[in-house]
Amino acid sequence: MQPGFDDNHTDDTFLQEMVMNANVVKRDMLKVMLDSVSISQYLCIVALVVLVWAHTLNSTITENFLIILDITLVGSGFFILLLTAKMLSFKLLLNYAIKISFFTTGLYVLSPIYHTLTRSISSDSIWALTTSLVILHLFLHNYSGSTIKAPGALENPNLTSNISLNASIVASLLIASRLPSRLLVFAIILFSLQVFLFAPLITYCLKKYSFRLHLLFSFVLMALTLTCVYRLHKLLFVVLLGLLVFVNLVCPYWLIRIQEYKFEINGPWDEAKLCFNITD
Amino acid sequence: MDIKEGKHSILMVSDFFYPNFGGVENHIYLLSQCLLKLGHKVVVMTHAYANRSGVRYMTNGLKVYYVPWKPFLMQNTLPTFYGTLPIIRTILIREKISLVHGHQAFSTLCHEALMHARTMGYKVIFTDHSLYGFSDIGSIHMNKVLQFTLADVTQAICVSHTSKENTVLRSGLPPEKVFVIPNAVDTTMFKPAPERLSMDPIVIVVISRLVYRKGADLLVEVIPEVCHLYPNVRFIIGGDGPKRVRLEEMREKHSLQDRVDMLGAVPHAKVRSVLNSGHIFLNSSLTEAFCIAILEAASCGLLTVSTRVGGVPEVLPDDMIVLAKPDPSDMVHAIKKAIRILPHIDPQEMHRRMKEMYSWHDVAKRTEIVYDRALRCSNQTLLERLPRYLTCGAWAGKLFCLVMIIDFILWRLLQLWQPDSEVEPVPDFKRTELKRG
Repeated sequence: MQPGFDDNHTDDTFLQEMVMNANVVKRDMLKVMLDSVSISQYLCIVALVVLVWAHTLNSTITENFLIILDITLVGSGFFILLLTAKMLSFKLLLNYAIKISFFTTGLYVLSPIYHTLTRSISSDSIWALTTSLVILHLFLHNYSGSTIKAPGALENPNLTSNISLNASIVASLLIASRLPSRLLVFAIILFSLQVFLFAPLITYCLKKYSFRLHLLFSFVLMALTLTCVYRLHKLLFVVLLGLLVFVNLVCPYWLIRIQEYKFEINGPWDEAKLCFNITD
Repeated sequence: MDIKEGKHSILMVSDFFYPNFGGVENHIYLLSQCLLKLGHKVVVMTHAYANRSGVRYMTNGLKVYYVPWKPFLMQNTLPTFYGTLPIIRTILIREKISLVHGHQAFSTLCHEALMHARTMGYKVIFTDHSLYGFSDIGSIHMNKVLQFTLADVTQAICVSHTSKENTVLRSGLPPEKVFVIPNAVDTTMFKPAPERLSMDPIVIVVISRLVYRKGADLLVEVIPEVCHLYPNVRFIIGGDGPKRVRLEEMREKHSLQDRVDMLGAVPHAKVRSVLNSGHIFLNSSLTEAFCIAILEAASCGLLTVSTRVGGVPEVLPDDMIVLAKPDPSDMVHAIKKAIRILPHIDPQEMHRRMKEMYSWHDVAKRTEIVYDRALRCSNQTLLERLPRYLTCGAWAGKLFCLVMIIDFILWRLLQLWQPDSEVEPVPDFKRTELKRG
């Protein structure tokens, strides 16, 4: 619209208001490695659960051992929660105790059903299904928070974390249905559900309380898992070790290497962001 | 030969045309009409709408091909890469087209037509009507497709300088190839009311689709606040969409039934009468390449209040528009300022200024310059054009080259099967000027 200029005239003000890489965070290698410890910690927890399943299916672990393990886990979980989240009200504890006893009783009553759930399905299908479900669970898991809303958590769980939780629960039910006795079924389901539902919450509280404790716990867990897997099967030990090295060392380096190609463009052509939340 | 020297035969291609109403549709129609008046030949190609399929003629002999492809998603035809090659080739040969002008990056028919036209050696022009982002998955794919089409376009047109920056960044075109020709408004249709409306009550008009993109949520925050501050202000809201429910709820919640009128969808012919019943036009869009609604409002003599987004600051001079950040408190502040300066506005004067600043004939003349420039570019063979596609990306470049080579082979096969000489050209009919008695 300016007289005397061609329509395709381009002068110095062209692209003057463009802003590049405004929101990009410069990453530090050490911090990324420390953050990746939470991922390998969860990997080890899932590996331990699978170990317990394998030993139970081989009849290496007895029912009594499992029941004692369950009670120990509940006790230590509560202990850590009390230590870190500081919710000391007696009424709340009673409330939780009642809920837990309801849950356990219901599970005990339903265990005959789970016992015969997959009797007509062949073992190969069960192993294949369980493996894919566990992989799905690891893939979609929300590693930065907890699906069960922790006290003080910021966000609601989203679709993928719900799917991963469901996958893990179905996997534990499938494994449980392969066991010989009902008490074993009850014990293994209780154990798996405790770990899958509450382990993220416990680790989140632990991490919030003290980062050093979190690191110590992770390393102890990794060492424990690696020894147990070594005793079970050598090849799986190599795979697990490789995976841990990949997650903790290779991935942070790779992320920082490709970060320099990041090119984020902002300018007057962007759609405006509303500064208020839309409440329907 | 009935086409005079220096006059072109143009094929306009887009998925968006009459009987749909919208910015792109109106642009194509009005631009074609003005080009016809300048003596060029214009043919439009679009997809079939419901029963409307085949060849139709519109005002002044504008021929429209409604190609029998049904739209599959948001008014776009199904993108079969080579399926449109035969029909486009037939149209180009029959109508003796000299250049192809495609509209709107979102239109799949446009991209396919430009690709085939380039293969067959015609010059192509592309006009981009919208702004797009860079970071969400839809935009990333769209930008790649745009890069492909614009890798070998002859010239490009954008409707505002912001749109030019956006298109150049998305497609990697050299800026000298992009012309900025703003849209215009039909000032003979949008005239102010003969008598000035009284200042009590002050009426604020909103006409837009009620969707997130057009800032309907901002309206929900702004309207109650303004109604509270100024007891003599009324709102008229025309348009429909998913956010209408929220506006109705806002009306109920603040008991504004007598102060806010919701008209529902307003047909294009009635827009003028709705605009003439108001003093101020409010536009709250979150993104706009060039807002024609503001031009229509200014042509009817309304003072405009708008969000400062995209190409909106380039549209009107500072004394005809009050700009605000897309934030409710800032918009309320802008409406306050507009109400304050409203007595100094003269609608007839505004209309007269708009008539001088914006006209479709001016747009057509500037587009004609672009066409002349395009036709002066040299012809290039396939081998000379292929290196341009290689710059689109490491993998994408080679893929695009492959696509173009296959297109070329298919074209040659088509020429063997049905040679150019067998396609019957359309006879040109003379348009006789009506004698005015």
